[in-house]
Amino acid sequence: MQTPNAPIAARGVPQGEDIASAGDIVQFLRLSLGSEKYAVQINAVREILQMVPTTPLPLMPPFVRGVMNLRGAVVPVVDLGARLDLPATDVGRRTCVVIVDVPGIDERRPQTLGLLVDAVYEVFDAPVADQEAVPRLGTRIDPGFIRSMVRIRGESTAELNLSAILDQQLLARLIACHATDPLSEALTALA
Amino acid sequence: MSQDEDILAVAREGFLDEARDMLRQFEQALLTMEQDPSDAEAVNSAFRAAHTVKGTAGLFGFDAVVRFTHEVESLLESMRSGELALSDEAMALLLQGRDQMERLLAEIGLDAQDPDVAQTSLTLGEALRALRERGAPALGQGLASAALSGGADPSRLVAESVPAAGGVWHISLRMGIDALRNGLDPLSFIRYLSTLGEVRGIHTVTDAIPDLAALDPESCFLGFEIRLATEADRATIEGVFEFMLDDCSLTVLAPDAASADYERLLDARAPDTQPEAREHLLAAWQSLAGPGAAPFIERREDVPERRANEPERRSGAKERRGGDETRFIRVRADKLDHLIDLIGELVIASSGAQMVARTEQSPTFGEAAQRISDLVQEARDGALGLRMMPIGETFSRFQRVVRDVSKQLEKDVELAISGGDTEMDKQMVETIADPLMHLVRNSLDHGLEGPAERLAAGKPAQGRICLNAYHESGSVVLEVSDDGRGLNRDRILAKAMERGLIEPDADLDDEQVYQLIFMPGFSTAEQVTNLSGRGVGMDVVKRNVEGLRGQIRVSSRPGQGATIQIRLPLTLAIIDGFLTSVGGVSYVLPLELVAECLEVPAECQSQPDRVAGHFDLRGEVLPYLDIGRFYRHSGTPAARRSLVLVRDGSTRVGLIVDRLHGEHQTVIKPLGQVFQDIKGLAGSTILGSGEVALILDVPALLDLATTRLSSAAGSRGQAARTVAGVHSEPR
Repeated sequence: MQTPNAPIAARGVPQGEDIASAGDIVQFLRLSLGSEKYAVQINAVREILQMVPTTPLPLMPPFVRGVMNLRGAVVPVVDLGARLDLPATDVGRRTCVVIVDVPGIDERRPQTLGLLVDAVYEVFDAPVADQEAVPRLGTRIDPGFIRSMVRIRGESTAELNLSAILDQQLLARLIACHATDPLSEALTALA
Repeated sequence: MSQDEDILAVAREGFLDEARDMLRQFEQALLTMEQDPSDAEAVNSAFRAAHTVKGTAGLFGFDAVVRFTHEVESLLESMRSGELALSDEAMALLLQGRDQMERLLAEIGLDAQDPDVAQTSLTLGEALRALRERGAPALGQGLASAALSGGADPSRLVAESVPAAGGVWHISLRMGIDALRNGLDPLSFIRYLSTLGEVRGIHTVTDAIPDLAALDPESCFLGFEIRLATEADRATIEGVFEFMLDDCSLTVLAPDAASADYERLLDARAPDTQPEAREHLLAAWQSLAGPGAAPFIERREDVPERRANEPERRSGAKERRGGDETRFIRVRADKLDHLIDLIGELVIASSGAQMVARTEQSPTFGEAAQRISDLVQEARDGALGLRMMPIGETFSRFQRVVRDVSKQLEKDVELAISGGDTEMDKQMVETIADPLMHLVRNSLDHGLEGPAERLAAGKPAQGRICLNAYHESGSVVLEVSDDGRGLNRDRILAKAMERGLIEPDADLDDEQVYQLIFMPGFSTAEQVTNLSGRGVGMDVVKRNVEGLRGQIRVSSRPGQGATIQIRLPLTLAIIDGFLTSVGGVSYVLPLELVAECLEVPAECQSQPDRVAGHFDLRGEVLPYLDIGRFYRHSGTPAARRSLVLVRDGSTRVGLIVDRLHGEHQTVIKPLGQVFQDIKGLAGSTILGSGEVALILDVPALLDLATTRLSSAAGSRGQAARTVAGVHSEPR
């Protein structure tokens, strides 16, 4: 897991789980959060659904939208924008839920989560060589959440680091603390 | 070949299972014997257990087990017959014997045998034998080597010395030529014979075997002359060969047979027309009567199939087991789990069908859907019942622990067990066994005082630990209580402050102080013993209990003892629920906890901002919690709300919700790992409409409410105290 404060110089070209050689093609899903576009590697994505009804859970931090029924399984839904400290997602016509698998805590079974995003666009290919380092300044979201910068149609798009954003242990702790501490909730209400 | 191995492996599993049960029975009987040496039934029970293990092990050819168990069994036999009285030495040896049997059983199927285990078998076996021989008159060892001359006199054989009880029988067996074809292996029968007593000698009569060219390997040409020292009667001995009778010729001569009988046998087996055969036979009898030790039947690597068939036939033939009337079937646990999952989905689907019936407003469909729902409910209860087992078995395991540890600590402790037939989900029983063990050890180690200290305090010298289990409003309650020192509140508080676990000025009531012992790293033991006191135990206990969605509570009276109470849900998979909704979200309450439903009382309505308070119910003052406000549901609450009165342990609490929807069977679905640490929600479920509903964990919810509300502004502490416990309120 990348820590948000890891020195940028050490990051450089991302390696990560898929140690692809320079000529390999990696597939990304392009999506939007608010007015910004972001990319996610397709290998973590299981499916994409139109907006589904979610059941909100009580006393949750703002990025927990609730849970949904995915063909009989109960799956948590995370507001990706809120998690990245962007304004919370307003449900609109194009709002989607992207179902992803992330590693569980202590290497247990991988966990399925739904990510609430404003819209999804397309899946595009990009050669590994085209991925660039994450800039230290100037990113809308915390650089720790970005894995690399990918060039698509001339535009530099941030590739999201899902394993950092959705680290199960961290999320569990954030959720548990929020539920028991009325102060944090008051602060959230004020924010 | 691999199919045979599979068959053998399955049979072996069955054997090991049964053997473990027998060992448990054995230990139980031994402990009973220790308490009450005059209990004859206990001695019999122990003997039967050992005998069964030995016999079945013999069928499989597990020689090490048979040899050692034989010593144990013999010692018990001499106790049974009154030759040997129970002494501390005997009890210690027998208990060690049981442990050794367990070790030997564990070695079965392993490639390498541990030489230490083999050594223990020898030394312990020696000790058992020595004890037995000291008690019983010496058995006539060494039969007179009857030097038979040419015209051997069979009557001389009768004069050989006999064991003090029973006698030496002579069994003459001639196999029929088709015996092998009919699936009879003479070796197995003879091996079985050895379980009745001691085979002093065997002579294989090979006269009938033709030479190699004429030999048909599937025909049996063998005969056996066997001398068996046993106390069994003729019927029992002949019973061993019951299944063989059609394919052999059997003659059994009693110890007191006259020489005329032997003459007759000789004539029958080897008529005068076959002088050579006669010679051989007489020589054989002569050698059998000699002082040689019984040759142990070598286990040959032969056809596994036949051996696999035998266990079934054997158990039909001999009714050795003492009247266990209930029949059991072994089922793989994962098959059972799969079935329960399916039934869970069936529950949801049936809900969906009922919903459709309602919306379609079709009475015929409604009836059909109701019928399905009733049947599903029965099936569900039946399936869940399959996983339940009584906790008594787990409790009785502790007898041995208490006995050993109390001896080690030089304390006199009695373990009292009640509610052993309380049933719990099998998986929960297995998970809770270790925490319970730790609690018992804790009581033994720290709770109970030594005899001197107890007498000085005016208590009886014998300490008492009670294990209790019962059902209460949809939960299973387990209690471990002792009549020892009780918990020292001041010392706990001091230790907690010393370790920085609490603030120095924290104001805690007794219950909260006692809960401190479950914090990691906490231990007030002055010395760390090798049993407990390292401070790693209690927090693991609490974590295990909470992992099963249970609660753990401590109560204590200084100088008089302490009780630890564990409350667990009846099952983890499916619950009968009561559906409510708050702010558009559906919440399910466990139905067993629901006591009553009312309209919201006036005093709760009067103050719109109150999250919790108390109200009057027919003269009783009870606390309430407004779920909508506590969970900060946005939006205006519904006009007419309801109050659901739920049980919380022995008290009751009101929960204010928006709407009531009635009973609803639910399958508990986990919420997801990210939610594993939140309190108050036991899981989720899917309603017939596909909507996800949340299942409330009522005790945890009330705890959470207490914590949150009391840690809020000080003036709100009053609300918290009313939620926390009405018993402190004056009526």
